Amino acid sequence: MTKFGLKPHDPHEVSQLNELKIDMSGLNMIAGWMANGDVIMMEQMPIFGGYSGGKEETAICDVATMVASFALFNCDIHLDGPIHIRWGTTTTRETLQIAAHACAALDRNTDLLLGNQYYTLAGPCTEMCLLETAAQSMTDTASGRELISGVASSKGVTQDRTTGMEARMMGEVAGATAGMDVAEVNDVLKKLVGLYERDFSHAPAGKRFQECYDVGTVLPTDDYINVYNRAVRTLGRCGLDLSIF
Amino acid sequence: MAATRPLTVCDVYDRFVKGKKVPESEWDYTVIPQNATKLKEKYKLKFGSETIPEDKQTMNNLFCAGLEMLVETGYYCQDLGRVMKVTEEEVWEGIKKTPTKLILGEGRDIARFYPRHGNSPVKPIIQGGPTGSPISEEVFVQVMQSYAQEGIVDDLVNGVFTSIEGKKAKTNTPYEIRATMAELRATKEARVRAGRPGLGV
Repeated sequence: MTKFGLKPHDPHEVSQLNELKIDMSGLNMIAGWMANGDVIMMEQMPIFGGYSGGKEETAICDVATMVASFALFNCDIHLDGPIHIRWGTTTTRETLQIAAHACAALDRNTDLLLGNQYYTLAGPCTEMCLLETAAQSMTDTASGRELISGVASSKGVTQDRTTGMEARMMGEVAGATAGMDVAEVNDVLKKLVGLYERDFSHAPAGKRFQECYDVGTVLPTDDYINVYNRAVRTLGRCGLDLSIF
Repeated sequence: MAATRPLTVCDVYDRFVKGKKVPESEWDYTVIPQNATKLKEKYKLKFGSETIPEDKQTMNNLFCAGLEMLVETGYYCQDLGRVMKVTEEEVWEGIKKTPTKLILGEGRDIARFYPRHGNSPVKPIIQGGPTGSPISEEVFVQVMQSYAQEGIVDDLVNGVFTSIEGKKAKTNTPYEIRATMAELRATKEARVRAGRPGLGV
């Protein structure tokens, strides 16, 4: 271990494969980390519309996958991320529903530590990206997740298109949602998801980090602060009050 | 029948080695979809219009269906092309052995992990970061600092260097290792700059 490398209390991440599969490199990493007493986070992103099929079938595979992380692979935290085969994001209406149902099923029957990860279609410095993030954060928080991880904006595939402002939205929405009545959260989500899903076919790419922040001071630009405030006002109109943050 | 003990990763490997050989295409295109559909019908699962379930019976039925999916279908090793089996009792032993409390990070920057149940008033741990998104060398420290300096963030997750010293960080090459080590150094620098050197990552 180097002086700047991962320590035992940092989550060591390993992936399962789609669906209910693993390879030898995954097993070997786990064997080493187990011997060292490291915290292990196992991720898997079940594909809606993939091998398993529809929403319910994907949720069944998701629950099986989560249970396998703990029962077969000795992990400490499972990092989920149901993903839409057409859009490649976790923020669609269907993938939010799969994640919420799978998490609630385990939450009700175990004390396991469950996380979820964020892949939005829109890029940074756009209201759509922040609203996608907010919808998933509400969903994850109200369905009982213990950790939320992100945000891989622009589907996590375009260079330099992620920033700390998206994580701010993820966290502040989680704080505002925690403790709300679940029926009320569902009502907000109905309005919120409808606002951005119609733009999936022409989602804005947003801006690069270098255009969202002053690279010298690492402060977000006025432009991004304005976009953020606009998203907060939109969330307020949907029924989620972020004004305490 | 009671399980002898929770499975270890070596037990899992041993079972893969002795498991039934199944072509990967059969697993993907036949075994997984057929078993998932069968369990959806057995447990009468049909999600309504709500994003988050409010009906406890649906939650319980989905849990039973998922558990049965793992036990009845087994689990596949891609490299060996074989399927291992696990019993329901062994699954429960594994769940019992799993920690339900964890601490991530160190010093005054720790994040404490406890089970939340339902929509607990305690927010989840916020793990901020690019989640494996490609980040250029020139701004990697600043990108990671932008997460570490957010007060709402409890823990970090890295982005990925796309190049190292001008060379592409190609998988399975020495450049991949050099890039990974550089990511770790840069993430350490970002945490120090943000005044949170002990944040977990």
